[in-house]
Amino acid sequence: MQTRIISLLVEDHPGVLTRMSGMFTMRGINITSLTVSPCETDGLSRMTVAIKGTESELEKVRKQIGNLIEVVKVVDLRADGAIIRDLCLLKVHTKDSDTRLEVMLLAESYGAKIMDATLDSVIIELTEEPGKIDRFVDLMQHFGVKQLFRTGLTAIGRD
Amino acid sequence: MAKVKLSGAKIVVEELKDEGVEVAFGIPGGVLLDLYDVIYKQEALRHILMRHEQCAAHAADGYARVSGRTGVCIATSGPGATNLVTGLANANMDSAPVVALTGQVVTSAIGTNAFQEASTFTITMPVTKHNFLVKRTEDLPKVIHNAFYIASTGRKGVVLIDLPKDVLSDVAEVDLHPKETFAGYKPNIKPNKVQTKKTAEVLANAERPLILAGGGIISSDASEELRSLAELLGAGVVTTLMGKGAIPENHPLCLGMAGMHGHLYANRAINECDALLALGTRFSDRLTAWQLDQFAPDATLIHVDIDAAEINKNMPVDIPIVGDVKLALYDILKWLEKKQKLGGKSVWLQRIKEMHSACEECIHDLRRAGSSLSDMFIKELSIILDDDAIVTTEVGQCQMFAAHYYMTKKPRTFITSGGLGTMGFGFPAAIGAKVAAPDKKVVDIAGDGSFLMTCQDLATCVESDIPVVVCILDNRYLGMVRQWQELFFDKKYSHTGLGLTPDFVKLAEAFGCYGERVEKPEDLEGALNNAFESGKPAVIDMIVGKDDKILPMIPPGGGIIGMIGTERCKHV
Ligand SMILES: Cc1ncc(C[n+]2csc(CCOP(=O)(O)OP(=O)(O)O)c2C)c(N)n1
Ligand SMILES: [Mg+2]
Repeated sequence: MQTRIISLLVEDHPGVLTRMSGMFTMRGINITSLTVSPCETDGLSRMTVAIKGTESELEKVRKQIGNLIEVVKVVDLRADGAIIRDLCLLKVHTKDSDTRLEVMLLAESYGAKIMDATLDSVIIELTEEPGKIDRFVDLMQHFGVKQLFRTGLTAIGRD
Repeated sequence: MAKVKLSGAKIVVEELKDEGVEVAFGIPGGVLLDLYDVIYKQEALRHILMRHEQCAAHAADGYARVSGRTGVCIATSGPGATNLVTGLANANMDSAPVVALTGQVVTSAIGTNAFQEASTFTITMPVTKHNFLVKRTEDLPKVIHNAFYIASTGRKGVVLIDLPKDVLSDVAEVDLHPKETFAGYKPNIKPNKVQTKKTAEVLANAERPLILAGGGIISSDASEELRSLAELLGAGVVTTLMGKGAIPENHPLCLGMAGMHGHLYANRAINECDALLALGTRFSDRLTAWQLDQFAPDATLIHVDIDAAEINKNMPVDIPIVGDVKLALYDILKWLEKKQKLGGKSVWLQRIKEMHSACEECIHDLRRAGSSLSDMFIKELSIILDDDAIVTTEVGQCQMFAAHYYMTKKPRTFITSGGLGTMGFGFPAAIGAKVAAPDKKVVDIAGDGSFLMTCQDLATCVESDIPVVVCILDNRYLGMVRQWQELFFDKKYSHTGLGLTPDFVKLAEAFGCYGERVEKPEDLEGALNNAFESGKPAVIDMIVGKDDKILPMIPPGGGIIGMIGTERCKHV
């Protein structure tokens, strides 16, 4: 099993997201993350899809995506060292001031920002590559994560 | 071109005519009143009123498969559209080019559960190649042009256009007949030259080359190229169900249809060959069966298909070629013609001869010991009908008896529901076929169960003067399911008996059709002549045995050389 990130340019039509997710369902493909956003060209949107699977499964997915009429371009971001980011917001339980201090120090060392704090919790924002976010979240579980939000991946190739 | 001011309904009809549409199969409804007002007494666009939307889709499908042109069907919103769904799924599975127009509630009411609202756009997404929900009248020209372009190019398929009532009634200023298409839709049709050259070399050096011809040969009209290649190489040819008719089945190099209910020696040849050129096929499970290690184990496998997503999907291949099979065959032939000498294949040719005659004798032998009435009726039909006659089939034993014993000589003359296996397809498909080819005889080889699913459209045949002939293999059972219950479920015939109704002859007569019952295969010719001479649509009720079995077959879980029921086959 490996994760592959596929970046797509699609026509900005109503229903294109339904079509994309419907295709994944129909072909029995599990996606780890799917994000849609505007891009540099009017009338087109960018979709970033992260999929887990074996090499041959991923190859099949890529071809099925390419078959969708509204897909203009498919870029496989596995090969080139793409820049991959995920944004995470989490509310961490801080039972006393010592804990709060410890959480804030750890957050700082990860390059995360403290967005808000109350007597018994802090809200932290971290924008990083997904693996690092996973590690940070694991660490915070130790104190108690009350809420966790992640946007899903976005990625850009270097050339 | 100058802009014109037209209602949406008029734009639709103008664009249909521009796409060369001559006929549409449909049923009107509330939201389609504007469209039908324009269709009224159109000279250039014939509309055939069907009696069920499923039949409208199947008729458009049958029309497309026979004519090679895009079939068109029309249904109203809600139930009209949901009734279409089976027909769309069927056509799309078998890559038949069809454009469906559906009515929709006014745009402002979409999403409110308005009267006869259904989300046709989302319901039909997984059963179409592409679909559109049009929100503005001015978008119609581009949408319709693209619908036809997408349906009829690349891997052909179904495109649906959902048309809200106000989009049809509103007037807009538009440029008719636009040419622009989607930036991302580039149906890849030119095969790679390096790959075709490699293929030519493999085939030239092979000792036991075999060609597997799928439906792609028929939809790309590549029968002649196929035949030239087979003859040049001395290669055997087997077909899939969808490829039946790609080469005349009595051609000395043709070994018939392969697969679960295929011919014994078509399957053997796949197992014995050392190079397999698969053309326009998707290696469905009904072809390959389940033991893939029996499928061409010693062969270099070459797969040509227009749809890149089919390559390596069901079958790992050695040489993949994405492109139109007709172009690929042309290239392969050109490479081969440059070769001085094509390998010594006399042993293989001798083997092909042996295998060909083993199956052909059985197909031609009308009174072969142990024959069932079902296969005798089909053999008779095969002898009676001329090479140009078009046969459609329902689904079940009837379909497999037809596939096995009806000898097809020309492409586009054997029309069957391959991928979806839809009971009720054959008869409405025959209607479409007859409309596409009014001068040819059109016969639906039906099962009693299947025919009852769509027989109401006998009314269409009578009212619109479409004289097709339905020949029912009447076993009073859902025979194919019964066969499986007999062979694999201890003869527990759970819910497969159909009882005694209806009387198919009286049913035909009630609709104003010709009806006749035949109990002996030798009486079929007379009955068929009566049917054709009556000039009416007709139903011939052929009484067959409930225990008739279509054999040999590959049992569930088996492989291509594990056919059962081969006792009656000639062993060579
Ligand atoms: C719409 C639909 N429903 C159910 C089936 C499952 N099925 C496959 S063959 C068959 C029996 C067909 O009976 P009949 O048309 O009488 O043909 P026979 O097998 O008896 O020749 C059934 C129920 C199907 N293929 N299509
Ligand atoms: Mg039956």
